[in-house]
Amino acid sequence: MKINKLLTSIFILSILCFTSCSEDDTDSEPRGDYENGILISGEGSKSTGTGSVSFVSNDFTVAENLIYKTVNNVELGTYLQSMAFDDDNAYLVVDDANTVTVVDRYTFEYKGEISTDLELPRFMVVSDNKGYVTNWGSTSDDTDDFVAVIDLSTYTIEKTISVGNGPERIVAHNGKLYVSHKGAYTTNNIVSVITIADDNVEEITVGYKPDEMFLDNDGALVVLCGGNESWTGDETEASITKIDISDNSITSTLSFEEGEHPSLMVLDDNTIYYELDGGVFNVISDASSLPETPIIELETTFTYGIAVKDNNLFITDAEKFADLAKLNVYDLTTKEIISTHSVALGASKIYFN
Amino acid sequence: MKHKALFLVASIFSTLSFAQSDSLVNRLEEVVVTADTKLQVHSVGYKVERLTDSVILKNTESFTNLLRFNTPIYLREYGSGGTSSASFRGTSSSNTAVIWNGININSVNSGQTGFNSLTVTLFDGINVRSGGGSIEYGSGAIGGTIHLNDNLKFTQNKRFKNHTLFSVGSYNTYQGLHKLKFSNKKIVISAGASYNSSNNDYPWLNTDYKNTNGAYSNLALNFSGSFYLNKQSQLNFYTANYRGERFFSGELPNPTTANDKYQDFSNRNLLVYTNKGVAFNHEAKLAYLTQEYRYFADKNSSNFNFGKSKRMLVNYNLKYSFNKIRASITSFSEFENIYGSTDQISEQNRRQFSQSVVYNQNLQQKIAFEAKIRKDFNTDYSVPFTYALGINYKVHSSWFLRVNGSKNYRVPTYNDLYWPGQGNLDLIPEIAAQGELGLGFKNNKFSADLGVFYIATKDKIVWTPNGDEDRPGVWVPINLSEVNNKGAELALSYNGTFHNHKLQFNLNYSYTEAIDASTNKQTIYTPKHLLNFNLSYNYKRFLGFYQQLYNGKVYTTASNSEDFIVPDYAIANAGINFKILHTNANTLQLGVKVNNLFNKYYVIQPRRPMPNRNFNINVNYTF
Repeated sequence: MKINKLLTSIFILSILCFTSCSEDDTDSEPRGDYENGILISGEGSKSTGTGSVSFVSNDFTVAENLIYKTVNNVELGTYLQSMAFDDDNAYLVVDDANTVTVVDRYTFEYKGEISTDLELPRFMVVSDNKGYVTNWGSTSDDTDDFVAVIDLSTYTIEKTISVGNGPERIVAHNGKLYVSHKGAYTTNNIVSVITIADDNVEEITVGYKPDEMFLDNDGALVVLCGGNESWTGDETEASITKIDISDNSITSTLSFEEGEHPSLMVLDDNTIYYELDGGVFNVISDASSLPETPIIELETTFTYGIAVKDNNLFITDAEKFADLAKLNVYDLTTKEIISTHSVALGASKIYFN
Repeated sequence: MKHKALFLVASIFSTLSFAQSDSLVNRLEEVVVTADTKLQVHSVGYKVERLTDSVILKNTESFTNLLRFNTPIYLREYGSGGTSSASFRGTSSSNTAVIWNGININSVNSGQTGFNSLTVTLFDGINVRSGGGSIEYGSGAIGGTIHLNDNLKFTQNKRFKNHTLFSVGSYNTYQGLHKLKFSNKKIVISAGASYNSSNNDYPWLNTDYKNTNGAYSNLALNFSGSFYLNKQSQLNFYTANYRGERFFSGELPNPTTANDKYQDFSNRNLLVYTNKGVAFNHEAKLAYLTQEYRYFADKNSSNFNFGKSKRMLVNYNLKYSFNKIRASITSFSEFENIYGSTDQISEQNRRQFSQSVVYNQNLQQKIAFEAKIRKDFNTDYSVPFTYALGINYKVHSSWFLRVNGSKNYRVPTYNDLYWPGQGNLDLIPEIAAQGELGLGFKNNKFSADLGVFYIATKDKIVWTPNGDEDRPGVWVPINLSEVNNKGAELALSYNGTFHNHKLQFNLNYSYTEAIDASTNKQTIYTPKHLLNFNLSYNYKRFLGFYQQLYNGKVYTTASNSEDFIVPDYAIANAGINFKILHTNANTLQLGVKVNNLFNKYYVIQPRRPMPNRNFNINVNYTF
């Protein structure tokens, strides 16, 4: 809270300064305490603590936990699954509370919430002042999963689009929505393509447990399919699959060895980074094979989040979910940790604000 | 700050009354038939607190509240009426064993007992024994044991007694109970039925929400009896049936999403034959117990997860008394056959044989001591040899010293072992060694007991992500942590009569440090300070009572972060009872009780506000 106060006073001072002594550079006025930094969302846990968001400044000198609680004096609840952004707002998706909470993305002040008609919401994307949220639906029904369409001017759900079991990540591009179906409590192996104009849903079959998805520089959709683990009794191969979105065909599949099940992937500057058994690997998006040695061996207990920006690799370690998580920042050139912070409990997603 | 002041007042009061002091300790002299002879006879050196009828009737709303306001146990409850568990002395909730007529009834699947899944008003006596009891009661009896007993009493003359209770409370809470007892020289029959239901939709203080999806209803039927066969022998039977349905309320910020439902059914049957001779006593027991739960993640769906178990138990005990030296040696042999399954785990069978021997002696009426050993043989894993020693030393007419030490264990549950993809067949039982030293005082008005304890637990079973190298990313139970608990417990009691004025006071205070050896921090959900007291005043047909609870702050993270805590709270209840009719044969009593008298906002589990001030009117009729 001290940091918050300090930031606020800096903010006020800077406004005074800018308004009085600088007329030509108003663009760089900070729009809130949490601009120019990294937001880390943590799921929280029922008995340990609330889902929360941490802030770390871009130069890593300022770090603050529980920023939503600090600003608004209430808790987010569990489990803060993910966040989505548009120009002004951040949307905090709390799955067990069936709620999407809307805050100013730079001040984190509460602006509203959508707390009806969602059922286990997972991920959200914004396109044309509409929010699209994947929902698992009832825990005891595999057939009621849907994408909710939120009117962001009224924060109400205007309709839902029925999709296959266990929708997870969602990407919007060119009037279409791409949804990976990891499979909720079971497993699934499809990517849905929804045409926003007419809600038409098409399915592409991929490997089991498709999760992270990114569009690369060539406009291809890169999907990480984790595959079913051996303990499920029905082990399947993991892969990184590329989809040509002009005709929804699979153009390439990079397969992992038997028994390998990567669970985290990110794409930066046409390079894919993924985590597998404690190592981070990288490979260019149009590679024809997977690398054998990692670029960095992590020393984490439970790697739960990954991001890359400006030649830095960000890794969260949720440890045992019994306490605050750890954020380690690696310099991708030296492969050394350059900064470490205690961040949100169950930290799983990293965003750049 | 208010609680601090209250705490201070309470401590001053307790120091004052400590010099004087009564009655919690080993107060089991009545001659009644009970199936739990181990509790009655083999608790030398332990603190045993008895919750009498009059105490039970002041907290009929739930077993959780009864224990919370009357014992040194910490109760963790997921909202009022939700899932509830109990911890003694900073140990985990799976280290509390619930004993029904001498039999450990903790669930085979989870290793615990849900304290809101038991109706206790039907039982004649509830005893709370602090300290390890694996020798007597097996797995999970580490922190302490809670005993539910039917006490059967033969009478010289034919006797027929009925007790009816009916109560109505806030949030459409209804309770009905009827108990009847028939006895003569040769037969005792006891039967009871109880029904509880509540919408339980109390408003959440400081919010616009209600406790949605919190309703519950349950029905319990108990039936027990004893037959006099001849001068030496008798046959007793006990049955207890329960069926309950509860909905699980939600949490902030959006409690309206709560949608789950829980049902549980249990059926317990026990047959006991006893034969008492001059030197030899025989006791044979046969028990059959079933338990089942159904969890509906969506109350509107017919799909549910379940767990069920069947247990068969055969027990033979032989006691030989060396009457000249006031000593006895008793052998307990027990065979148990358990079948357990869940929707995820196909039926698993566990067979277990245990043999224990207890030597008990009284030296010159001053020193009583007991030495106990036990060995278990189990089809699933090896259980270590356990032992215990208890000593009671009468220092002076009213003062006594008590000492006990024991090694106890908790076996892995079915869920720990067999949960698909996550269970771990390499688990070994948790082991806890402990010691306790107590100083007690007791006369006809006061009793006091001050004890210090130490418990060292190792190989605690903890579900951990990446617990198994071969299963990355999977939560697996492993024998992980080591925890050392130390602390002190104080129990005080006073019963005084001045002409027609009767005053009764009971207090429990406990100080607990439970330190995880890997972090050197207090374990989560372990309050350092726990205090409760009950004060009642009786004048002729009128009785007024006041109950107070102070529950210290608990940490919810391993590092004891101040950002994640459940704050301390102090809450109080009060009530008045008036006997409209009071003759030798009939008593009709009307009572009013106010719970959360000062309308305090408090939570036990984060984001789950507990009930605001609420009322209850009750009628008790005995005839």
